[in-house]
Amino acid sequence: MDKVRHFVEQSWLLIVSAFFFGLLLAGTDYALAPTIRQNRIDKLNRLAKGLLAEAEHFIEVEEKIEIESGKGKSKEEITIYKAVGEGEQCVGWSFSVGGPGFQGTIYLVVGVDAGFEKLAGYRVLSSTETPGFGDKIKYDYFREQFEGAPVGELKLVSTGKPEKIDSEIVAISGATISSEAVVAIMNDSVLQVKERMRKKGLIDNGR
Amino acid sequence: MADKARGSSDLYKETLLAGLWRENPVFRLLLGMCPTLAVTAAVKPALTMGCCVIFVLLCSNIIVSLMRNLLKPHLRILMFTLTIATFVTIADLFLRAYFPDMSETLGPYVPLIIVNCIIICRAEACASKNGLAVSIIDAVGMGVGFTGTLCVLAGVREVLATGMIFEVPVMPGAFVPWAAMGMPVGAFITLGLMLGLVNLTSKGRA
Repeated sequence: MDKVRHFVEQSWLLIVSAFFFGLLLAGTDYALAPTIRQNRIDKLNRLAKGLLAEAEHFIEVEEKIEIESGKGKSKEEITIYKAVGEGEQCVGWSFSVGGPGFQGTIYLVVGVDAGFEKLAGYRVLSSTETPGFGDKIKYDYFREQFEGAPVGELKLVSTGKPEKIDSEIVAISGATISSEAVVAIMNDSVLQVKERMRKKGLIDNGR
Repeated sequence: MADKARGSSDLYKETLLAGLWRENPVFRLLLGMCPTLAVTAAVKPALTMGCCVIFVLLCSNIIVSLMRNLLKPHLRILMFTLTIATFVTIADLFLRAYFPDMSETLGPYVPLIIVNCIIICRAEACASKNGLAVSIIDAVGMGVGFTGTLCVLAGVREVLATGMIFEVPVMPGAFVPWAAMGMPVGAFITLGLMLGLVNLTSKGRA
């Protein structure tokens, strides 16, 4: 009994404070969570709309796609958005995938055509690449090389014509690792998404 | 009675000025170096970080001051951390909800305010030993001192790195942006030079 009394005497303030602060945080989270969730959806839609110009709105596909990341060490759940154009026709797909960059994880929003044959391009959702060097993956001249490129084995080259749309991607001078990271995301994660979507019958069946 | 009021007024003034200059957390105490170096590439993120620190410092000093007579000595650090973590989480959620782009720019440095030495130092050195009024003034002085320092550092770096301040061009057309100033190396060089300048101006006055 003495032990219990000693425990309560010593820690009552901590227990009461933890309860009070917990309530405060729960209340704040309850009030702000819808706005935070909406911000994320707005950003994804804004970026995806920039990729798929024909899209009038996006519908979240109920079935989640599970892909392997970190060289098979972990699994990641991907939410797919169906881009719907005029006459409720599917004009493409959009989703967010990530991969290791030079300093941290690069998250991209990727757009592909309805048949998942060609890339519509990508936008950087978040990254911590070096300003002035690695963050050039956000620049048009690098991104435009992916617009219309075939979904498949993209190859990074150090010299070439960036304006030519094919499977060869010309690396950013001084930011080879960041360029490699984007190409690796396209070759690894995007291909995995394609395979899983095909298995689930989301593509190649006219839907 | 008048002497007592004058004494209190002097104490408040002393406390406020200590944070602003004499015990400035960055230039004099060298505390909070992590955000000082990490978020000063531009003025906007520096100002946002400063405002978050003022909010957390103010709230934690108020709570710690109010509970100072109930604190058990061996549990006080735990109580400080619990208090600080709560208000940092609130600041982080607020930024994510209403300033999502800024929240993304600041990245992990907002949650890292929890381990900012300035806040825990003020809770231990001031709020746990003084009344509410002194604790509030101390929080305002230290918070504004920290924010001011961050903004000066960020202003110099932003101008040299981009030729702009608050995204408004301020340098002549012939100015060549010095990209390195926007990178970590620029933070170390600018902070080092400023610390040297502060030491030089106060040389012999210690």
